[in-house]
Amino acid sequence: MNSAAEKVDPEKVVLWAGGHEGHDVISTRTFGFWLYILSDGMLFATLFAAYGVLSYTHSYYTGPTPAQFVAPWYTFIQTMALFLSVLAYGFSMTALKHGNRAGVINGLLAASVLGVVFLGLDIHDVLRLFGVHITPRTSGGLSAFYVLTQVHAAHIFFGLIWMLVMIYQVMRKEFTEEVIGRLISLRMFWQFQAVMWVFIYVFVYLWGYMS
Amino acid sequence: MSHGQDNPLAHPEVQMANNRSYVTGFIVASLLMAAATVLVSGHLLPPFALLLAITGCAGLAIIAQVYFLLHMDLSEHSIWNTVALIMFIPLFVITIGLTWWMFSQLYLRTMPMIPGMPGMH
Repeated sequence: MNSAAEKVDPEKVVLWAGGHEGHDVISTRTFGFWLYILSDGMLFATLFAAYGVLSYTHSYYTGPTPAQFVAPWYTFIQTMALFLSVLAYGFSMTALKHGNRAGVINGLLAASVLGVVFLGLDIHDVLRLFGVHITPRTSGGLSAFYVLTQVHAAHIFFGLIWMLVMIYQVMRKEFTEEVIGRLISLRMFWQFQAVMWVFIYVFVYLWGYMS
Repeated sequence: MSHGQDNPLAHPEVQMANNRSYVTGFIVASLLMAAATVLVSGHLLPPFALLLAITGCAGLAIIAQVYFLLHMDLSEHSIWNTVALIMFIPLFVITIGLTWWMFSQLYLRTMPMIPGMPGMH
């Protein structure tokens, strides 16, 4: 015991009980990535706070407010595209459970196509508003509106890139711990974007429309 | 959180995938969002009741998504994800709520009336 400190060899020291039960890669990665996702949620919290303090009447400085330019049913279609994309990703994960490679790829493809539909509708909406000179420069309220909605769209964009990478990896690799861990991380990321979208849809688009 | 299988597909995180649960989450969240959209686009309620109603829709839709899609529950495998989420909620609410409260009080005390504007709220 008392000579333990002298015997530590930095080249060979083991930092945890390596052979104890086996290091559970999937659980550890999943929990770590879940903590990252919750930090991402704090990013959204700051943007919701900014939108909250910049959505007073004076924030729009007599310019257009969401009540004048939000189209609830258009954005509802966007909502459905995102929810269906999350559902397709869920089907892909059930196929994974049965080791069904084709099912995983089909689910990921469907989820990506629906994600592209969501993003396309978002870009179309932004271009429509830019066409009538409703831009982030118009007022502080609109800056906050654009930053919040487009940061969410950026998450969808990077999620889609990740999804393409995963389609490639599922086609070319075995179902290893690493590939499965990434698929699960992306599942949580994608589902969390749908959760954040519920907040954005209800409290930015719908509430903005009725104010 | 240790399971020690050789086949990664047998891991509980993979095996908890469940189509029925995903479809339920999708249907519940979609119906609630459709209800909120109908209420708002038709102005079917007075403003404050409308705000309460759509807040209820959002809250229930989020609970459905977190439970049915993200598998947050009290099972041995998911408990720490759930704990992290529960601890996250006060941070999320306080960040938004305190900022909003601070600025609303500031506006009340400092914001001059701008000519041609309908005034504070």
